[in-house]
Amino acid sequence: MKIGIMSFAHHHSEAYIANLRAVPGVEVCGVADEDSARGQRFAQAHGAPFYPTYEALLESKPDGVIICSENSKHLSLVEMAAASKINVLCEKPIATTVADAKAVVDVCARAGVLLMTAFPMRFSAPLMEVKARLDSGELGQVFCFNGTNQGELPTKHRAWFVDPTLAGGGAIMDHTVHLVDIMRWYLDSEVAEVYAQTNKIFHANEVDVETGGLEMITFQNGVFATIDTSWCRPPYWPTWGGLTFEMVTERGAVIVDGFKQNITLYSHANQRPVWQYWGSDMNQAMISEFVSAIHNGREPSVTGVDGLRAVEVVMAAYDSARAGQPMKIQQTVP
Amino acid sequence: MKIGIVGAGFMAATHAAGWAETEAKLIGIVAETTDEATSLAKEYNLKVYPDLASMLPDIDVVDICTPTHLHHEMTLQAAAAKKNIICEKPLGRTTAQAREMIEACRKAGVKLLVAHVVRFFTEYALAKSSVMRGEVGKPGVIRLNRGSFRPKKPAGNWFLDESKSGGILMDLMIHDFDYVRWIAGEVESVYAKKISTAHPGAPVDYGLVILKHRSGTISHITGSWAYPPPTFRTHVEIAGDGGLIEFDSADSSPILNLVAKPSSDSPDVGLPSSPVSESPYTTQIKEFYSVLLGEKHSRIEAEDGMAAVQIAEAAIQSAATGKAVVLESLVEVLS
Repeated sequence: MKIGIMSFAHHHSEAYIANLRAVPGVEVCGVADEDSARGQRFAQAHGAPFYPTYEALLESKPDGVIICSENSKHLSLVEMAAASKINVLCEKPIATTVADAKAVVDVCARAGVLLMTAFPMRFSAPLMEVKARLDSGELGQVFCFNGTNQGELPTKHRAWFVDPTLAGGGAIMDHTVHLVDIMRWYLDSEVAEVYAQTNKIFHANEVDVETGGLEMITFQNGVFATIDTSWCRPPYWPTWGGLTFEMVTERGAVIVDGFKQNITLYSHANQRPVWQYWGSDMNQAMISEFVSAIHNGREPSVTGVDGLRAVEVVMAAYDSARAGQPMKIQQTVP
Repeated sequence: MKIGIVGAGFMAATHAAGWAETEAKLIGIVAETTDEATSLAKEYNLKVYPDLASMLPDIDVVDICTPTHLHHEMTLQAAAAKKNIICEKPLGRTTAQAREMIEACRKAGVKLLVAHVVRFFTEYALAKSSVMRGEVGKPGVIRLNRGSFRPKKPAGNWFLDESKSGGILMDLMIHDFDYVRWIAGEVESVYAKKISTAHPGAPVDYGLVILKHRSGTISHITGSWAYPPPTFRTHVEIAGDGGLIEFDSADSSPILNLVAKPSSDSPDVGLPSSPVSESPYTTQIKEFYSVLLGEKHSRIEAEDGMAAVQIAEAAIQSAATGKAVVLESLVEVLS
């Protein structure tokens, strides 16, 4: 099976190349990037064929592409892939507006191509374990979540993450979607309402987007949840950030740290503690699912609609932060 | 200086232990039944009074350790008798009550000291001074968690009667409302949810509150009565533009007890246990004693106690209405 990479704007693209190559029978058939120098650099670094244009890559008829462009450019690349009848795995968030997110879903549906949203936490071994316990009934009824998806300022990876146009926003845009998706998955319920407060105290003079964000989400089934999306971790924190949640049920609480499986390294070279992750590679499991879904001609376990639902919450959170009151969410019908 | 405690529950016992470490003379307690007060009276050689009125003539300072809904009436009574007052948190069941208490004490010319003991916990006081020294810069996002099990009192559990205690948002989370206001200043708006709103019969309760401060800082306050006994956990994270402070009671506990318990008994209310040379409750009583002697300034004013009640009351309102509540400034409340 042949999979291509469209754009290296998102740093996950490099990990995905390694993940693809680890799946038996999968070939990274080519990469393309509108930033030709960047594309050639990564193509060379990973020994992957470089195509001078996205069109040229798509004409080589890969079975699927992974879209790793800036958030606001996802739609145009998805449209190109769909027009060529190529299956799509799109980096999260799938778009920076609800209209674009809906268009991403619609264009793939019309073309009859598979669309998967890159929500790797769905494939986290600890999170899957908790989902299984929840489904078994042993935890009882869920009442609420207290979630965090905090990080350092992501400019270390790429500058565009803090560009209001290319990224579509700051901490709220970057760090709302994972927990929203996890909770939708756990609860099988849609978000009814969201309240958000944001500020720009961290890195105030460096960026034009919000760096602090707190949200309270209410699901249609009555479960409520907070998400701390803040870029509050200093650059010398032992790791990039993390994702945690406490899930409170009628029987107590389960406290989950998605990135707790670390060794702590104290090295003369670093002069600070560093957490080295040894837990299972959730990206690998996500890429394998994309490949398997294409191979078997079935819908992937995480769909484009999942990506759309998360974007709807993000946009309502921004509306709420402006209004100072919770905002109701009406699910878009793709 | 002669002291009398009102109430004979576990908080009265911690205050009594604190007074024993001062030069003040703890002379009596008010208790509804002598049974309840017997062990405390015996331990500190106290006279047991049937009501506050009968104790007032014998004392200089009233230390109110009764259920929250009684604070208002007892404070007014003590102020009318020109006695200085120490009052357990929450200062009042409502902002209006707290305001009347403050006014009554001001008119009577007596001191009103509110026992927000978290300000006296060493780790919390250290974090406060670290922030004051500018070591983390301006706080951007603050996270405070406080979690335990549902208070279990056999009969007439006033903790669980919201009209008396204010429930989890008032009784438990007021600790962190006061602390976060100490760190990040006045609160502008409050948005809150809790389990017991939609599930009044649930065996657990849990509150989640988002605060916006006038300084621009935003805060996330969590209170849990959802854990199995004898759990008591606190967590603090103060992230600023120049650094970050974090501590967790589970991580900083110096003793990990892996010894089998002889009995399954657990205390009525979850309490922190990280041994220090002086209990924060005693530190608090000693400081209040110095304040009453005029030797020291209090780290907490009665207005701070009222402000914490105001935040908790707004949280209760928000949880009930589903809307964010914008607070009146303290000046407006007191005018």
